[in-house]
Amino acid sequence: MNRQIKTISELDRVIHEPGRLMLVALLSAVEKSDFLYLQHETGMNKGTLSSHLSRLEEAGYVQVSKTYRGKVPQTLLCLTATGRNAFGQYRRKLKEAL
Amino acid sequence: MDRIENLLNRPKAYYNVDGVGELGIGFMCLSFALLGWLQVSSPEHSVWNGMIPFIIFIGLVTSIIHYGSKAIKNRITYPRTGFVEYRKRDTLWLPMILGFAVSAAVSAGVAIGIKKRWSLTTPASLVGLFFAATYAYGIARTVRWKWAVAGVMALGSIAIAMLPADAVGAVANHSWITRIAPARLYGAFWLNMALYGALTLISGGVSLCLYLRHTQAPAQESQ
Repeated sequence: MNRQIKTISELDRVIHEPGRLMLVALLSAVEKSDFLYLQHETGMNKGTLSSHLSRLEEAGYVQVSKTYRGKVPQTLLCLTATGRNAFGQYRRKLKEAL
Repeated sequence: MDRIENLLNRPKAYYNVDGVGELGIGFMCLSFALLGWLQVSSPEHSVWNGMIPFIIFIGLVTSIIHYGSKAIKNRITYPRTGFVEYRKRDTLWLPMILGFAVSAAVSAGVAIGIKKRWSLTTPASLVGLFFAATYAYGIARTVRWKWAVAGVMALGSIAIAMLPADAVGAVANHSWITRIAPARLYGAFWLNMALYGALTLISGGVSLCLYLRHTQAPAQESQ
């Protein structure tokens, strides 16, 4: 098989989906952020965003914690060490493939 | 790949989404311009030229910027467009090292220039162009209308460079500082600092007004 095609086939499919790629890229640049920030930056609705975050949480890439800011419930999200490694690898492989 | 790079830079740009970054920089520059004016307008051994009042002044200005920014973020920005906690090593060390290196290089250059009696008036005036370039790189890239602010900054610094020597040096003409540095040199630095501070403060204020107008907090069910 062509090496380039092989590299593309090895891309992490959890991250490769455009919506999740956006989320992982945004989270990789910060320590943590809340749900509202991700919603504002990506323009996704709550349902879509929740479903992408659940998928990333299942893969162990994102850590979700529920807290309060004053009296308002707040969902904080941060990329785990596994998530950071996976995103780093994804970027390297994508660069190779391109 | 470019789109991913763009996404990676978005959280940094988000810090100034409400103009708070510019308000802080503008306030700091205008405070230093005010302190500089007080220092050259008062006698050499007055309270404004002492080290302890200088440290108190710096502490006061940085506290106002720190707690003021925090208050705006907590009360306005986070409830409207979300909370972000930045990675420490990205936000602190690089700007600190860069700031230290640039200020050390500029101070050394000015000290050598004064000692060797070079004419530093034009380079001092053109410091404004450096300010405009840093503004364009750091802030104007993310918001299109801010290129106009960067343009005004650049034109202003060129205008300062072309002002008659008497007008530039007017701020420090009869001051004790003329024994250390030419009044024109001090005046050029001071005018650039005041211009940059005023424009950045205005730009930050406009950004905050636009942010308040175009955003509103969502219903308080969850964030």
